[in-house]
Amino acid sequence: MSRPGFVLEVDDRTPPLVVHEGEGFRLEQFPLGTRVIYPPESLPAVPDVDAAIQHALLNPEDADPLPTLLFAGMRLTIAFDDLSIPLPPMQRPDIRQRVIEAVLNMAADAGVDDVELIAANALHRRMTAAEIKHIVGERVFRSFFHQGLLYNHDAEDHTNLTHVGLTDRGEDVEINRRAAESDLLVYVNVNLVAMDGGHKSVPIGLASYKSLRHHHNAKTMLASHSFMDHEKSHLHHSAWRMGRMLSEHLNIFQIETTLNNDVFPAPYDFLTKREWEWSIKDQASMLAARRGLAVAPSRVKHKMFHGMRAPYGLTGIHAGETEAVHDKTIAAVHRQQLVEVRGQSDVLVMGIPFLGPYNVNSTMNPILATCMGLGYFFNSYRGQPLVRRGGAVILYHPVKPAFNQLHHPSYVDFYDEVLAESTDPAVVEEKFEQQYANDPWYIHLYRTSHAYHGVHPFYMWYWAAHAMDHVDDVIWVGADRNAVQRLGFRAASTLTDALEMASGTVGPDPTISYLHSPPHLIADVH
Amino acid sequence: MPGSRPGVLRGGVDDVRAAARGWRWGRRPLVPRSAEEFVLPTEQPVFPTEWSRSRPARALREVAQKACLEPVFRSQVRTNVEGLEILARVEGPVIFAAHHASHLDTPLVLLSLPDRWRRTTAVAAAADYFFDTWWRSVGSAVFFNTFPIERRGGTIASTPGELLAEGWSLLIFPEGTRSTDGWMGPFRMGAAWLAVEYGVPVVPIAHRGTFAAMPRGQNWPSPGRRQLTVRFGEPLHAIPGESGRDFASRVRGAVGTLQDEDRTTWWESRRRAAQGETPDPSGPEVAPWRRVWAQSESPAAADATRHRAWRRTS
Repeated sequence: MSRPGFVLEVDDRTPPLVVHEGEGFRLEQFPLGTRVIYPPESLPAVPDVDAAIQHALLNPEDADPLPTLLFAGMRLTIAFDDLSIPLPPMQRPDIRQRVIEAVLNMAADAGVDDVELIAANALHRRMTAAEIKHIVGERVFRSFFHQGLLYNHDAEDHTNLTHVGLTDRGEDVEINRRAAESDLLVYVNVNLVAMDGGHKSVPIGLASYKSLRHHHNAKTMLASHSFMDHEKSHLHHSAWRMGRMLSEHLNIFQIETTLNNDVFPAPYDFLTKREWEWSIKDQASMLAARRGLAVAPSRVKHKMFHGMRAPYGLTGIHAGETEAVHDKTIAAVHRQQLVEVRGQSDVLVMGIPFLGPYNVNSTMNPILATCMGLGYFFNSYRGQPLVRRGGAVILYHPVKPAFNQLHHPSYVDFYDEVLAESTDPAVVEEKFEQQYANDPWYIHLYRTSHAYHGVHPFYMWYWAAHAMDHVDDVIWVGADRNAVQRLGFRAASTLTDALEMASGTVGPDPTISYLHSPPHLIADVH
Repeated sequence: MPGSRPGVLRGGVDDVRAAARGWRWGRRPLVPRSAEEFVLPTEQPVFPTEWSRSRPARALREVAQKACLEPVFRSQVRTNVEGLEILARVEGPVIFAAHHASHLDTPLVLLSLPDRWRRTTAVAAAADYFFDTWWRSVGSAVFFNTFPIERRGGTIASTPGELLAEGWSLLIFPEGTRSTDGWMGPFRMGAAWLAVEYGVPVVPIAHRGTFAAMPRGQNWPSPGRRQLTVRFGEPLHAIPGESGRDFASRVRGAVGTLQDEDRTTWWESRRRAAQGETPDPSGPEVAPWRRVWAQSESPAAADATRHRAWRRTS
């Protein structure tokens, strides 16, 4: 039986609690009375995944069964989410592999010859062959990759983009030509968090900068409360308009999957347990991990963390018409992640783990750490933020000014040039975005190397716009002071120091909430 | 210097200390109060206790109680025992029913009993608390002749009914758990039901001072040899046709009257009982701290209240 998430109130019986901080974690003794938001325990996984996939494909929502949509001579395109989800990457076999194989089996039975598979990476970096292989599996990879039929979407290949039209708000809808011109576009999604999926899949994953700029901007993100709630997110409203327009031109068969909260494999599974329930073995694992991390060189630590493969279990799969599917998907995500919380607090504490969507097999640089903390974690709410307007946010992360030059070249310049001038998302957008978005060198690296698009660091900064607008103080514990200063924030050595620093904003005796994540959770704040 | 050997060693020691303190190494782990409702009922392994009533185990218990438990107990607290004469008027087995305020209650009652009764009395102990590990199970069975009772529903190895049928008297705390503030809680029906079902008398027991000497959360008596009192009451028999619920209520009333007697005198408590004015053993409805405050005072030592027939002249 899986227990629901709940709000712990720290008392004299509460042991130190795990707080993630990059490639490591610490045990923090929170002040008495601190509210700790715990995610629900992992739901039981679907026992027969293949049967569940077959059932979803043969009994879709508001659509005909997939086999009836397949016929000889058709153009079939299968698009799938890239390596930004799930986090950490899933143990083999990835759920996308199993779904894609099932779709291909049906296509083969129907005599479909013209099949192409596209990773819907939008402006994310191109995945390496090994990364694609991990997602789609050896059989699919061998059958399609070397034939040039399995590839990354290229948002700067203008010959292979189609401008489908404008929404009623004048938003450009430009997506991958092959996808747009197929008789059937099957999209295979992993809905790790509530912001994923729905019309965010095709209209964003397969889009170009021209299309993305309509919703990936400071104004939209500032008005998305939150972007984990697609009904209240202007980002999603725009994507929904685009998706509805696309569905008039394209035949899209959406397949969405949801996962449970089995984030950490053994022997790190103690990180997902409630601390007071740690067995002797869990405590020993924690002590061993802490000592190992203390003595390990940073390269070993990086390898240790980024080598993790999550033992995620499938909790649901739905297929068919995008919106009908997504309603069921969101319900499944909420079953796994929603936690009821009463009221806001003065201070919100969050530990930033080693991994976010944009540093898989890479480095979490200061901009990505900000995006994780003030973007993804801060927005993990429904209703209202966990912290009151004008409150303070305390984050844990080393925030080392280290960048992966292969993956994040434009981030280096964004950090050195743009943030040195302004940290205001609106100012940054107005003054610098076009320059970075159209920079030929960044475009070249995006298209031919494994670099994120030149404009990507701007998007990460916009992701944090709502939080920056909402709170008055952002303090990083255990962070590089110079780096944090560059980001426009402040650094503290300990939680006590951070609370002392925040007292100017929230007073000497603030109410505190700690978001105990990962695993993922959404605070339903009333 | 980060990563240097002294720093790593010191960090390791700090981590171990933090873990030992946070996870209460060597002590029973505690669940934060706000998380208690989310604790899953665990399938406790059932440790058999029949062996602890075998002849060798009884011999071992005699040594453990008289050579270890009693000297330590007497060195830490002072006791005043009254009412034992009633045991001369009953034949075993009986059910001893006492209110529960401290872990001292069990040794207090057991070590107050005459040897003949002590050797043939088994103590009901919560399966989820005293029988969750083999060593705790063995320890409590050797020292106190405990047998498990299930507080949360489930199966247990030996039933109290079997023990009564075999001639063992039982010591049961009908509240099912220790009081959080020293005052008496409601009585569950288990002891009364057993008495009705097996036709055995219930001997009510009142005691004072155990909460003051060693309340919940404390695992050793407070220093200063606190005074404890224990008083055995007249055996109660279930009236034909009386339900377990009604009998439990009567037992609780008898314990309350005994407490009143222990606090004042037999005559005063009898008169109050006759007029229905026995103080409520649940305590007054006042602020929690006042309830704890009232119970944290040990009873006066017996010597101090003894009335002397002759005035001391020197």
